[in-house]
Amino acid sequence: MNALLKFAGALVAMAGLSAPALAQGSIVSPGQSSTGTYMDYMKTVYARATGSESLQVPLTSFDKDFTLTGLAAESWTQSADGLTWTFKLRDGLVWSDGQPLTSTDYVFALQRAATSGYDFAWYWDFAGGIKNWKEVTEGKADVSTLGLKAVDDKTIEVTTNAPKPYLPSVVSLWYPVPKHQWDKYGDDWATNIDTVITSGPFILKSWVKTNNAVVLAKSPTYTGPWPAQLDELTIDPSFGDPAVGMTAYMAGDVDMTGLNAGQIPVAEQRFADQIRKNAVFAVSYISFDLNSPPFDNVDVRKAMYYAVDRNELTSTVLKNIAVPAGSILTPGYPGYNPEIAAQAVYDPAKAKEFMAKAGYPDGKGFPDVEIWYREEGGYNSAILPPMSQYLQAKFKEVLGINMSIKSMPTKDWMDGLLNKKNNLFIAPYEYDYLDPSNFFGIFYNGGRHDYHIDAYDKLVEQADSNPVWEERVKLYSQAEQVLIDNAAIVPLVHPITMMLFSDKLGGDAASPNKQGFTPQVGAYFNTHLTKQ
Amino acid sequence: MILYILKRLGSIAVTFFVVSVAVFLMMHAIPGGPFDGNDMPLSEAVRAKLMARLGLDQPLYVQYLNYMWGVLQLDFGVPYQSPGETVLQLLANAWPPSLLLGGLGVLIGAPLGILLGMAAALRRNTWIDYIASGIATLGLTIPVFVISMLLILVFAVWLNWLPASGWGKPERWILPIIAYAAIPLATYARYTRSAMLDTLNRPFVTALRAKGLSERRIIFQHVLRNSAIPMVTVFLPMFIGTATGSIFVEAMFRVPGLGSFFVSSIENRDYPLEMALVLIVTLMFCIAYLLSDIAYALLNPRIRVEGRQ
Repeated sequence: MNALLKFAGALVAMAGLSAPALAQGSIVSPGQSSTGTYMDYMKTVYARATGSESLQVPLTSFDKDFTLTGLAAESWTQSADGLTWTFKLRDGLVWSDGQPLTSTDYVFALQRAATSGYDFAWYWDFAGGIKNWKEVTEGKADVSTLGLKAVDDKTIEVTTNAPKPYLPSVVSLWYPVPKHQWDKYGDDWATNIDTVITSGPFILKSWVKTNNAVVLAKSPTYTGPWPAQLDELTIDPSFGDPAVGMTAYMAGDVDMTGLNAGQIPVAEQRFADQIRKNAVFAVSYISFDLNSPPFDNVDVRKAMYYAVDRNELTSTVLKNIAVPAGSILTPGYPGYNPEIAAQAVYDPAKAKEFMAKAGYPDGKGFPDVEIWYREEGGYNSAILPPMSQYLQAKFKEVLGINMSIKSMPTKDWMDGLLNKKNNLFIAPYEYDYLDPSNFFGIFYNGGRHDYHIDAYDKLVEQADSNPVWEERVKLYSQAEQVLIDNAAIVPLVHPITMMLFSDKLGGDAASPNKQGFTPQVGAYFNTHLTKQ
Repeated sequence: MILYILKRLGSIAVTFFVVSVAVFLMMHAIPGGPFDGNDMPLSEAVRAKLMARLGLDQPLYVQYLNYMWGVLQLDFGVPYQSPGETVLQLLANAWPPSLLLGGLGVLIGAPLGILLGMAAALRRNTWIDYIASGIATLGLTIPVFVISMLLILVFAVWLNWLPASGWGKPERWILPIIAYAAIPLATYARYTRSAMLDTLNRPFVTALRAKGLSERRIIFQHVLRNSAIPMVTVFLPMFIGTATGSIFVEAMFRVPGLGSFFVSSIENRDYPLEMALVLIVTLMFCIAYLLSDIAYALLNPRIRVEGRQ
């Protein structure tokens, strides 16, 4: 009865609702996560609400050719000792409530992140290298000792532990938090559409929390570079699954959609001119517990390194939704070294030799092992399951290894990785900022894996702080050579995503870049789209 | 009767308590917490701060008692997935779409299923029976996401009669309601057919026919009523199961409903929401079975709720 009453009530309530008509220049695009907490990138990255990064203006950003561009920051300089960076903000930047956007809003964002628990704190510690970051997050030093200073309303000074020549790239993920609004509402300013104010090219017009869908509208107060060209942008995660997105795309409900492996042949046949490819700056690799048998033996790991036919894997099983990976860096990514990548060849004879050298000729005596991968949405969902089956077959065929596969939810997978509940994993990683240090950081001194390879760590440290780009690249290559010589990881593939873009979409962001790819990067993408 | 209901309410309280303890323990036994599972591990200091913010640094029994004390006052806490609102506010937003579509699905599917089952039983082993049984078998065996996909392809993409998905205007409700109706329709068709065949073969039907009652009165007044017990048994649990939303139907039709929260609360280790959903559904099922038992007595005077005949 209770349920019936509620049901009757719901009927009455719903009958009054109707969807608003779409405005001119309005685009509907798929989002990622159907749950989101705070509309504030600086409060949480992994659980942020849809559109958080389109509402605020970062200091810098990248265009589709990955050229670094100043957004809120008009200019930046590095001190002679390389330890201090000074960023100058543009004139005329304001919050959507009319209050001026100042350096305090940026400094406050990171001060709060360092003191209140931020799920992206590693980034500002490792990538940012901000002075005293670690001490402040651990409560051992006061927040005033952080290497951050609002010198005046327009000037931000950042001091790092060691020279960070790539800091302007790192600050592409540094968004402001409206201090005056936070003083009134605390963190809850970012949970309520009425109190969310914005500094970027869009304002928040509506936010359905139940599925984390938002409608953004062009900000009337934004004066910086890259203003919105669209009147309205709907980002709706319920279109995110290609199975849903593709049919909605065909019915005209959404202007772009991701494709899964099964849909690609259909799309190539029917919508060939609407396909947009993107080489994601990401890598999938095998990682080991280097201290547990049988993977504590470098020869076993090398055997696996040579037992994978990456060309066969990508061209057959993966149907070209990925390209072979010989390096942790993607072709086209700064610092990519083709000579490093060329070493990852398929050589079954060599693989067998290493196996025999390790004491397991033709896999005899080798224990049964299990490889763990995590269930994911997005491009990885199409890659990881078939790839693990390919590896299973290949390791059996070439090495005589019996390997079973376990697919698990992300949290369980991460728990297994961190607490060493298994010794063999497939791990994917996508870049956060455009510098080789990003990928080298994941193997640095217990970063993501419990890897402590002294020679590697020292080279990465030197590379990170070296001001001369050519020397840095050389040092990173040497560091990667150490990884290869230790066979600490087995690089597998770099993903390629495929999307359909409606032919009504226009603007710079809808057409491919110099490499023929159409990346959907940060602040650039949403502000460089138009619709006829 | 009143004593019986009181006794049953007592047992519901015990069930509620046992379920709450079991679910609470299982929930916390799953590896990883609400802040694990990101691409890079959290440092201990950061993790400790985040856990303390949600009170997860306290001993488990304290967390349980705090939560249940809140529940007794109808405070189910704040969902980790959606700070800025309470669990009850989240349910108030997410449930109505599921209740509307799922509820209508059952309310439309079940009577149609009964009609189909009746037709099959009364025209046993004819083409009507074969078609009805075929529909029922298909409805139960084709996964609901396949039915949903086919509905979208046919009615939205090919015929262009209805919107593919979304929420808001009533024309967007039609396809998900049909998808929701498939299982109740199929289930009811099968139950009704077998229960009616069973009843039709009983001696009292022959006696009624011998008395000269019209076939219509025999079917509607006697056979249907005597076949109703299994239909009553499945109705409320089916209603609850469907009206709390299906993750598949809601994902395919992009309904901002409750279905996905059953999964996302576990995936995100959203303890308050997970507990709230399990406790509320437990309570609803307990009450549904109680109401079903009472309905048995009303339908068949020979059944006494206290177990005496």
